[in-house]
Amino acid sequence: MKKRKSIFGKLQRTPKWKKEEFTEIEYEPTTVKELLTEMKDISELIIDLAYSAVLLDNDEIAEEVKYLEVRMDKLNYDIRMISMMAARTKEDAEQLAGILQIAEAAESISNAAGDIANLLALKEKTRPILPKLLSKADEKIFRIKVLEKSKACNQKIGDLKIESETGMRIIAIRRENYWIYNPQSGTSIKADDWLIIRGTDAGYEEIYKFLTGELKVL
Amino acid sequence: MKEKAAEEIVLEIKDKSELMVDLAYSSVLYDNKTIAEEVYELENLVDNLYRTLQKKSLEDVKKGVHSIDDTLTLLRIAHAGEQIADAAQEIADVELRDVELHPILKMSIRESDIVFTRVQVSPQSILCGKTLGQLKLASETGMMVIAMRHRDRWLYGPNKNTKIGPDDVLFAKGPEDGEKHLIELARGTSQEI
Repeated sequence: MKKRKSIFGKLQRTPKWKKEEFTEIEYEPTTVKELLTEMKDISELIIDLAYSAVLLDNDEIAEEVKYLEVRMDKLNYDIRMISMMAARTKEDAEQLAGILQIAEAAESISNAAGDIANLLALKEKTRPILPKLLSKADEKIFRIKVLEKSKACNQKIGDLKIESETGMRIIAIRRENYWIYNPQSGTSIKADDWLIIRGTDAGYEEIYKFLTGELKVL
Repeated sequence: MKEKAAEEIVLEIKDKSELMVDLAYSSVLYDNKTIAEEVYELENLVDNLYRTLQKKSLEDVKKGVHSIDDTLTLLRIAHAGEQIADAAQEIADVELRDVELHPILKMSIRESDIVFTRVQVSPQSILCGKTLGQLKLASETGMMVIAMRHRDRWLYGPNKNTKIGPDDVLFAKGPEDGEKHLIELARGTSQEI
């Protein structure tokens, strides 16, 4: 309770998810396909981010999860509007109902991920059990710092083919005070970046050696 | 022993629920009712696991194996996993309905960051007769095999001891450039992993 009081009467920075929550919903002419693709991508990314937030005990990642959750609400609203405008016949409506059901499911996934990330905000000291638990999963989440001597520095993720060479998927990059979530093939890796990566133990060993300069090529 | 069991159940729920999401999306992509039905089966399994976990955790608290806080955390994680499993079932439900899928569905799943692929293993392929553990497909090609079909038998969520045979059909997910590599390996046009 003490912590809460200290923010009274002070200027607060609005978190990204709050801003998204308060934006007015306007009709934007995007396509159903684009919306659904983004929703599917978020539904997969957000689970990994949620577990990473809990595992690394990181409030910033948890905030991104919250942002994506709110973003998903907006996308789900948009896709409903656009689908309704697209339906002309009974057959249209039947097919579009399937699309809306999948969109709804993607949204439920993001809500579940939000619940996982919310574990961080709990008062109870619940954290120690989670890292122990998650370290036994099939695919794990790792954090690696890129060293200056690594050949990965200033290279694009797509050119390095990290995922197809090692099976490790980069979920997020922390660069100084910034975050890059779900980096794309055009994103470059820089020295001193912290990468949050998901994959198997075998893949981790390989990428760890590469990012610390021990291994010259993947 | 008991304390391990509760954690193991939570892990199984986590792994299974993620597998279900993958299977559900690929059932829609390949318009495949068998995979969609498997998602339903897995949903039952996850439900049962969750119920077992609820009972077990209460017992654990009573016996003092776990603290209340730890148990709550386990239950909350498992609950989220269970919801993810439900969502996967909703996706699979669309495939199982008697309505033709909207073409946009396939396109959206196809165009996303992670792609799903289906390939049949040719008898000339170097994959034949090897286990997934020996091949290290995931770390070498980036493609994770999520399901496979051996004649009429399906195998979901194969592990490192699973052997690949000629004519098996593999369902895998991963990045686009990994997809090409896997297809070449399975067809036998590439001999190098």
